[in-house]
Amino acid sequence: MQRIYLGEFEELVLLTVGVLYDDAYAVAITKEVEKQSDRSVNVSAVHKSLYRLEKKGMLDSRLGDPESKRGGKRKRLFNITPYGKKALDESMDLRVSLRKQIPELAFKWQTN
Amino acid sequence: MEKKPTIPRLPHAFFKWYCQPGMYEEMHGDLEEFFYERAAEKGLFTAKLLYLWDVLRCFQPYAWRRPTAPTNAGIIMFRNYFKISLRSLMKNPLNSSINVFGLSVAIGIAVFVYAFASWTFSTDQFHEHKNEVFLVTFLADRDGTPQEYGTTPRPLGAMLREDFSHIEKVCRVEDRPVVVKYGDRVYHERVRYADPEFLDMFTFPLKQGSKASLADLNSIVLSENMAEKYFGTEDPLGKEVLVKFDKDNGKLFKVAEVAAKFPASRTISFDFLVNFDNLRTSPAYNVHDWSSTVAATFIQVDDPFNISSIEPGMDKYKAMQNSAVQPDWAITSFAFRPLATLHETSEYIKDGISRSSKDNYMSIVFMAIVAALMLALACLNYINIAIVSAAKRLKEIGIRKTIGATRGTVAVQFLAENVLITFFAMLLGVGLAMGFFIRGFEQMWGFDMDFRFSDTSLWVFLPATLLFTSLVSGIYPALYISRFQVVSIIKGSVKFGKKNTLTRVFLGLQLVFACVFITSAVTFTQNSAWLGARSWGYSQHEALYTGLPDAQAFTQLRDALSSHPDIVSISGSFHHLGRSEQTAVLHFPDRQYEAMELKVDARYFETLGLQLVEGRAFRENAANDKQAVVLNATLAASIAPGVPTSEVLGQVFDIDSTRYEVVGVVADFHAYDLSNKVEPTFFSLANKNDYRYLTMKTKHGTEKEVYEALQGQWATLFPETPFMGGYQEDVWGLYYEVIDIHAIVWQVVATMAILLAGLGLYGLISLNVVGRIREFSIRKLLGAGLSSIATNITRRYAALFAIALGLGAPLSYQAMNLLFDAAYTYHMPIGFSGVAVAVFVLIGVLLLTVAIQVARLRKFNPVNGLRVE
Repeated sequence: MQRIYLGEFEELVLLTVGVLYDDAYAVAITKEVEKQSDRSVNVSAVHKSLYRLEKKGMLDSRLGDPESKRGGKRKRLFNITPYGKKALDESMDLRVSLRKQIPELAFKWQTN
Repeated sequence: MEKKPTIPRLPHAFFKWYCQPGMYEEMHGDLEEFFYERAAEKGLFTAKLLYLWDVLRCFQPYAWRRPTAPTNAGIIMFRNYFKISLRSLMKNPLNSSINVFGLSVAIGIAVFVYAFASWTFSTDQFHEHKNEVFLVTFLADRDGTPQEYGTTPRPLGAMLREDFSHIEKVCRVEDRPVVVKYGDRVYHERVRYADPEFLDMFTFPLKQGSKASLADLNSIVLSENMAEKYFGTEDPLGKEVLVKFDKDNGKLFKVAEVAAKFPASRTISFDFLVNFDNLRTSPAYNVHDWSSTVAATFIQVDDPFNISSIEPGMDKYKAMQNSAVQPDWAITSFAFRPLATLHETSEYIKDGISRSSKDNYMSIVFMAIVAALMLALACLNYINIAIVSAAKRLKEIGIRKTIGATRGTVAVQFLAENVLITFFAMLLGVGLAMGFFIRGFEQMWGFDMDFRFSDTSLWVFLPATLLFTSLVSGIYPALYISRFQVVSIIKGSVKFGKKNTLTRVFLGLQLVFACVFITSAVTFTQNSAWLGARSWGYSQHEALYTGLPDAQAFTQLRDALSSHPDIVSISGSFHHLGRSEQTAVLHFPDRQYEAMELKVDARYFETLGLQLVEGRAFRENAANDKQAVVLNATLAASIAPGVPTSEVLGQVFDIDSTRYEVVGVVADFHAYDLSNKVEPTFFSLANKNDYRYLTMKTKHGTEKEVYEALQGQWATLFPETPFMGGYQEDVWGLYYEVIDIHAIVWQVVATMAILLAGLGLYGLISLNVVGRIREFSIRKLLGAGLSSIATNITRRYAALFAIALGLGAPLSYQAMNLLFDAAYTYHMPIGFSGVAVAVFVLIGVLLLTVAIQVARLRKFNPVNGLRVE
C-alpha cells in the first residue's frame, strides 16, 4: 500500500486539532501552534492546511454558533477522523522505527 | 460595551471579491477575531496593517472563487475552435511556421512603414500654435512660371505688426555664420537671430532657463546638443560665450536658456538663438531696406480663419516692394503658409527656412507598395497551404457537418483559426519591426524615429491590420473548405487539390512579385556601383579647398603654400563648386534666362580639371576679361538651341545692365550630388579682393600630405579661426552612403521576397508530394528512377514557372524603368541583367525544392506508402 503523505506543517496542524479537541478552529489552532512550536504562523497557512486535510479525509468539520467577537460569524470546528488517526500513527511509527535503526556509532562523535 | 473598531473597507471588499462565497463566513470570521483582538492589544493602526497582510496572505488558490462554467453555447464553441486550431497548428509545425513566419515578416514591414509614415506626418505637429502661425512668402514670375520664395522684404515684419489687428505676433528670423568660443572650444556655427516672440510661437520644450530670456539683448539660447558640445557636464546657465560675428566684431552672450532635445521630426529648429536686434550692431544691416530680404518672417494670427482678411491688405506692400527693386525682381503677390503643413509646402518654396519632407512622401509610397506586395505574398502562401492541407481535415469537417454544423459555422471556424495564426504572426511581426527593421533603419540613417507603443493610432492600425490580413488570407480557404458535402467526404469522393487553378494562379502571382523584387535588388546594387563610378565632370580626387575669412588670408595662405612640391596649382575664387554660387538673370534683347553664377579666377578651370570644349578660359591679368564669361554646356545649349556650341562664342548679354561676352564653354559637371540636375551655370572673373575660397590641385596620391600641410599653415596663420577646409571629393557629404543604403534596403526586401516565395513553393510541393505518395510508391516499386520522379514533380510546375516568369520578366523590366526614373535624376541605363538574375534565382529555388523532395522520396520505403490500415 502506498504510504499516506503528510507534510510537516500539516502534521503539526493535524496534531493540534487533536490536542484542542472540540474547540479546534483556525484561530485557536494558529495560536496553539505558535505557542507550542514557538514559531510565527499566519492564519492563512493554517486555513490552507485545514482545507487540504479535510479534502484528504483526515479531518471533518461542522459549523459552530455565531459569536460577537467574530463579528457575528460562525466558526468552522474540526475534528480528526479515523483515517486521520491512522495517518498520524503511521507517520509516528515510521519516525520511531527509523530513529531506532540509527546505529549508536553514528552518535559517537570524536572530539579532535 | 465599548464601540467596536471597524474593519478597513478596501481590503474587506477585496477579500469579498476573491473569496468563495461558501467559505467567506468562516474565514472572514477568523480574520475578524484576530483583528478585534489585535486592535485591543496593539492599537487600531497595527491591527489594520496586519489585517491587510492577512487578506493578502489568504489570496491563494484554495480560497479563490471557482470560475463558473460557461453556459453560453457560443463561448463553448469558440473555446473548442481555439483548442482545435492550436492542435492543428502543433500537428503541422512546418506549415504553421511557414505561415506564421511569412505573415510576421510582412506585418513587420507594414508596422515599419507605419512607424516611418507617422514619423513623417508628425513633423512640426508638436507646436501648440501650428495652425495660427504662418510663414510669409512671396510669388514672383520667373521665366514665365510663378515661383514662390520663403524670404521676405526686411521692413515687412514690423509693418505687419502695426497694420493688422488680427496679427498677434510677428517674428523675423535671420541666420548668420559665426564663430562661437567658450574656453578652448572654438567652432564655426550658425546663429539664428529672432524676435523675442520666436519661443512663444514655436513651442519647443525647454530644459533649463526661461522663455522670456530672448527679449534680453545679451542672452543666448542653446539647443541641447550645443550645450553638450560646449559645456559637457557643466551647467551652462549663466555662463558667457563669445560670439564672433566676423573677424573684428564679437560679443559676449550669457546663456539664459537651454532647449530640451527637439522632437524627432521637425522642419525648424536652432543651434543658437539670440535677439534679432543684435543684427543692427553690424552697421551693414538695414532693417528699413525694401530691396533686401530677411531669411523668414512668421506671423501668428488670432484665428487661422482671419488670414483671408489679411491677404487683400498685402497689396500696398507689393507696391512698396516693387518700387524699391529692379523690375527683374518684381513680385506678383504675397502669401501665407501655415506652420502645420510647412513640411509639405516647403518643397515648392525657394530659399525657404524649413526642410521639406517630400522625399519622405515618395519613400512612404514606395515602401507602402512594398509592404502591400509582401503582405500579398504572405497571404497567398497562406491561402495555398490552407487549401492544400485541408485534405487532412476533411474528416473533421465531415463530422462537424454531420452533427449539425452549417457551412457558415465551418467557415467561421476556419476564419477564427486564421485570426489566431495572424495574431501570433502579428506579435512576432511587431517584435521584428521593433528589433530589426526600425532599429536597422535608424542606425543606417542615423536618426531617431521616436516609435512608441503609447501612440494611440498604432492601436487602431494594429487591429485593423490583423483583421484585414486575416480576412484577406482566410476568406477564400474558409469558403472553399466549408463547401464540401458530407456525403462525398465520407464516401471519399472529394476531388481535391490536384488541379486547383486558383492555387496555381496564386503561386504564379507570388513568382511575379518575387521576380520584381529580386530584379530591383540587383538593379539598385548595380546602380549604386554605377553612380559611384560616374564622373563628376572634373577631377575631384586631386582637389583640396578651403574657405577663407577674407581676401588677405588668400594671399597669406598662397604664399605660404606655393613652395610646396606636391601642389600643382593654386586658385582663388569668390564661389566654389559644391559650396556656393549665386543666381543671376541673363538678358538677351528678346529673352532672358536664370542661371547660376560662379565668380572664379583664371586658374580655376585648370586647378579643378574642368574640361574646356570650345573657346578659351580667362586670361590672367587681362583687364577686359572682366566682361567675359565661360558657360557650361547646358547653358550654352539653352541660349542657342540647335546650333553647334562654337557659335555660342561671342554672344553677348546683360546682367544688371552690364554687358558680358561668351568666350568659352566647358563640359557639364556636377557641382552637387547626382540627385540634382546639372543647372545652367556660367563662370565670371572674381575681384581679387573678394576671394573667399582657395582651391588646390595636388599631385596624384599626395592629397593627404597636402591636406596636412594646409591644416598646419592654417593653424599658424589663423590660430583664432577654426579650419574651414576639406577634400573636394567630400563636398557631397553622405551622398554615396545614402545610395548604398538604397541598395541595402532593396537587398533586404528581395531576401524576404525570395524567402517567402521559396517557403510557399516548398510548402506546396511537399504537400503535393505527400498527396501523391501512393502514386510515387507505385512508380518506385515498378522501377522508376529518381530522375523520372524528379521530372514528374517538376513537370507540374514547369508550365506555371514559364508563364509566371514570362509575365514577370518584362513587368520587372518596365517597373525598374519607372522606379529609377522616379527615384533618381541620373541613373544607369536599365539592362536585362537584373531580370536575368531574378529568373535564374527563381528557377534555382524551384530546382532546390524539388531536389529536397526527391531526396526524401529516395529514402522513403514504398511499402509504407501503399499500406492501408
